[in-house]
Amino acid sequence: MRKLLFLSLLSLASLALAQSEVRVRYVNVPADAFPAQDPLAALWQRAPVTRVTLLPQTVTTPSLTAPSVPWLEVQALHNGTQVAFLLRWPDATRNASIDVDRFTDAVAIELPLDHQAPPSFMMGHPGGRVHIIHWKAIWQEDLDQGFQDVASLHPNYWVDLYFFADTPVPLYAEGEFPHHPAARSFKTPEALAQLSGAYVRNPVSILDRRVPVEEAMAEGFGTLTSQPKQNATGRGVWAGGQWQVVISRPLVTDDALDAQLGPGLRSVIAFAVWDGGQQNVGARKHYAPWVPLVFEELPQ
Amino acid sequence: MATVYNWQLKRDMAYLYEGQRPKRQIAYVFDTNKCIECQTCTVACKTTWTSGKGQEVMFWNNVETKPYGCYPLRWDLKTLELLGEQSWEGETYTGKTVFEAAPPGERVLGYRPEVEDYASPNLGEDVIAGLVEKGAFFQGVHQVWMFYLARICNHCTYPACLAACPRKAIYKRQEDGIVLIDQSRCRGYRECVKACPYKRVFFNMVTRISEKCIGCYPLVEQGEQPRCVQTCIGKIRLQGWLSAPEAPRRDNPIDYLVYVRKVALPLYPQFGLEPNVYYIPPVHVPRDFLVQMFGPGVDAAIAAYRAAKDDPELLGALLLFGNTPRIVTSYKVQDQQAIGYDEAGREVVRVPFQEPVYIRPYFDAERGVYRHNIT
Repeated sequence: MRKLLFLSLLSLASLALAQSEVRVRYVNVPADAFPAQDPLAALWQRAPVTRVTLLPQTVTTPSLTAPSVPWLEVQALHNGTQVAFLLRWPDATRNASIDVDRFTDAVAIELPLDHQAPPSFMMGHPGGRVHIIHWKAIWQEDLDQGFQDVASLHPNYWVDLYFFADTPVPLYAEGEFPHHPAARSFKTPEALAQLSGAYVRNPVSILDRRVPVEEAMAEGFGTLTSQPKQNATGRGVWAGGQWQVVISRPLVTDDALDAQLGPGLRSVIAFAVWDGGQQNVGARKHYAPWVPLVFEELPQ
Repeated sequence: MATVYNWQLKRDMAYLYEGQRPKRQIAYVFDTNKCIECQTCTVACKTTWTSGKGQEVMFWNNVETKPYGCYPLRWDLKTLELLGEQSWEGETYTGKTVFEAAPPGERVLGYRPEVEDYASPNLGEDVIAGLVEKGAFFQGVHQVWMFYLARICNHCTYPACLAACPRKAIYKRQEDGIVLIDQSRCRGYRECVKACPYKRVFFNMVTRISEKCIGCYPLVEQGEQPRCVQTCIGKIRLQGWLSAPEAPRRDNPIDYLVYVRKVALPLYPQFGLEPNVYYIPPVHVPRDFLVQMFGPGVDAAIAAYRAAKDDPELLGALLLFGNTPRIVTSYKVQDQQAIGYDEAGREVVRVPFQEPVYIRPYFDAERGVYRHNIT
């Protein structure tokens, strides 16, 4: 109870901190012209820009002690059926691979399920659920360059054999390096059992990802859970020392776990940014507490 | 932070969660004096559990040469350096544990290895601790020391990996104390990799989540010892169940070696995790080095071990090593034999103190051959 009170006070403080609102501009364009996956579309010029100050996460452990991203700029559009958020932040290094000491750049938006009484902006709280949509640079890389496999990170690894891998060509061709089956060629249950995360369908271990975003829900620290039904999409590009990432989804869905949005709605939105180059991951993140979110009405 | 009792430190210490010992605790005793670093355990584990993609340089079991061998690179030196001075007063640890020394914003004091640190799994192999004098020759006792340290997950009573995971994706099983990472819950934050001072949690770059030794639980659930234990040709390992520290059972070989005779000691107990792989220290290594590594019980452990040949109960416990695939939960010594029993009280192993000698004739008339080795 004391923790809840503390978080509520933090929420109030955050609302007081917020200097402006994110205004979701209505644009009268059909679905195929809506920039659901295009961070560079000309249409974005019509959306007002809101700059949000980012803070290092120090409320819980592990925390971020060395912040590196000071702000995030947000633009938002809707066309009556879809909504898209364009997120832009400075990041001198593009980090789109993962190994034991490599971390991916990432961004997330958070929406309350209850627009009238938003829960704690810090991942919600027990009974106060939030809807979170993540975008990660490595997922974008998986889509743009193919699954980021062992060979992407360590092209000179020599492996004699991967048990049960479905190899279309012999492992050893005369005078050549052994053929390395891609992780995606582990298809049978026996082969997949060698990739335990993929075998148990961990949403982090998806080998054939189709979108660079993940929809999740949470009710407090450490409770982030991938949604069974994924409705969101997005795309990110890095250029000139900054990321520009679109996260989009239908305004209204048939998914009870989604925040339902619509023209005229007044709600709140929160953000998180991870700087992979600074080993940001999980709770080691930059965040912006609830910012007012206003959807423009449809024209009469 | 809660307060828990760590019997290896003989004091209370801070831990993230309330202390709750499992119904029984998996534990191992490794006799470092018998290890020849053949890596059979390493290969058995590798082929069983970590031959998949993303596990190319991942070894849940490894054997390294001390003092210089290390996998991942400098794992022990780095944590010892981070922790600073570690002091004991008698049997009580008066320094700080990795939990008590956690910096602001962290749950555990630790470091995350770099990818290169895993690149040479057997670096320092057979490297001795000093230089050999010019003109030296073998006179029955090696003049410069080294020894082999076999390492697996310690299935700690107070795991640092478990404490560090912000998602509670790591759990310690009530039924056997085995520490596991929930492969469907882990999101690959690598806080556990950073927190484990023994560096026994590994990151898989393909599944993008962390993995660790699972104590061969499918075998253990059937009353069999893990693969690394069963395959050890040097018979240096025994796996069994360690009772709670306040209730040791003399007829339980693990309890007897750890609690009663204290010949097997935890690895770096000062880290504060109450690790459950216990080592019989090497008898030939400088004591200062061993005390740093195994705590203040080293002298007594070596003295008892050296006298084992005249100590039937201790000798009996040591003879159970490597002689049965089954988990031995109790044993007795009778008629110059060590007899081990499983949980149901069935005899699973009987080892004579002295192997019988059979002398066969030099010439085998039946086969018409001469024997070169007649014993």
